[in-house]
Amino acid sequence: MLQAGDWAFVVDNLDYLLTGAAVTVGLTLTSLLLGFLLGFPAGAIEVYGDGLAERFVSVGGVVLRGTPIVVIMLVLFFVVSISKSAFVTATVGLGLRSAAYQSQIFRGALQSVDEGQMEAARAVGMSRFEAIRHVVVPQALRRSMPGFQNEFTIVLKDTSIAFAIGLAELLTRGYDLFTQSGRSTAVLEVFVAISAIYFVLTFGTNRALDRLSDYYAIPSGENA
Amino acid sequence: MTLLRVEDVHKSYGDEEVLKGVSFEMDRGDVDVLMGPSGSGKSTMLRCINRLTEIDSGDVWLDGTPVYGPDTDVNELRQDVGMVFQDFNLFAHLTALENVTLGLKRVLGVPEAEATDRAADHLAQVGLAAQTDSYPAELSGGQQQRVGIARALAMEPKLMLFDEPTSALDPELVGEVVEVMRDLAERGMTMLVVSHEMGFARSAADDIHFLDSGRIVESGPPEQLFQRPEHDRTNEFLTGLQSNGH
Repeated sequence: MLQAGDWAFVVDNLDYLLTGAAVTVGLTLTSLLLGFLLGFPAGAIEVYGDGLAERFVSVGGVVLRGTPIVVIMLVLFFVVSISKSAFVTATVGLGLRSAAYQSQIFRGALQSVDEGQMEAARAVGMSRFEAIRHVVVPQALRRSMPGFQNEFTIVLKDTSIAFAIGLAELLTRGYDLFTQSGRSTAVLEVFVAISAIYFVLTFGTNRALDRLSDYYAIPSGENA
Repeated sequence: MTLLRVEDVHKSYGDEEVLKGVSFEMDRGDVDVLMGPSGSGKSTMLRCINRLTEIDSGDVWLDGTPVYGPDTDVNELRQDVGMVFQDFNLFAHLTALENVTLGLKRVLGVPEAEATDRAADHLAQVGLAAQTDSYPAELSGGQQQRVGIARALAMEPKLMLFDEPTSALDPELVGEVVEVMRDLAERGMTMLVVSHEMGFARSAADDIHFLDSGRIVESGPPEQLFQRPEHDRTNEFLTGLQSNGH
């Protein structure tokens, strides 16, 4: 049952939870950035590359997409021990996994740009690289927005899996609150509170990304 | 003086031989039209000239340069050959002006301000001075194709290739594009045009090459080909075109 005393407890500890939310936001951003830095080139290699690089990227993607994120994170932290910092480990785990998904978003977006765009760019004398960079990529990035927005939300919510390696993000902090002695009655209130914070974060970023996508949309053309 | 020489060009896609030894020449300032039924190899022939499609054997020479020579830089070669596409292929994310400046800036290294001036001039020349800031999706087909022509012209090519430039247009928009092409022909541009626009061919073409099944069946000035075609195949095709209201 929801009880007034337990709500007061949540309100009293809001700072504590919001600090966790800040870690969640930070981890989301570092993971997405790492995911973009690796995922975008990986997507491009899958479309334009050949031979070993293409093979490497596509096998890596299959492995990462086929492994549960909790397993990836636990292996990185306890088996490989890439870092003593749970934040760094979580960034690498979520970032690699996101790269594997982002590569597919960008692969699809690059492939969706009409072949004629490349031909027209080559016909004025641009090299393949220039044509990709100045003509194909700007259009592909716009088309990748819906998929990227989706990925943003997924990574944001999956930061909670860093709970498994003890990172003090939003979920971990919520858990720590109600496991304090005598506070087990506040479980529901704490979960309602952290769910609300997750909702505000996902809803807010989605609206912001909608705006961004509208801003860069090509006038009266297809929507980004 | 010969600007373009095409010599015994062969091209196959898989088992299907699309070009079976095509040869022709164009002098500077010539306007030639390639006609023929669909699948006869016209567009393939055109694309072999700027190497958007690679030939299997034969030779192509542009202004003394072997197009397929081992030392020929294909990106440099293409600066001399403008191309206009059936589906326009305007860069969808760029305005009309930016479509024209992109090549100037990225390929020729023209500074921004000068590129903008030159592009604006070329757009004015095709009657689009008021549309410089419009995106392709905001323009009619005829306007898009004229931007496509301006984009190619801005590179100051020696030869312009037109690949069915009016086929994707609504009938009422064909005229404005043909007019721009005719104007270009009058100003001495060397043009090789794949098209069934009889009006353009009749009034602007020096020679028409009739292709059928990968071979040039018959070549000659429009009055000869249209009035006294020597081959049955040419006659049949042209009669068909005329009865379709071209």
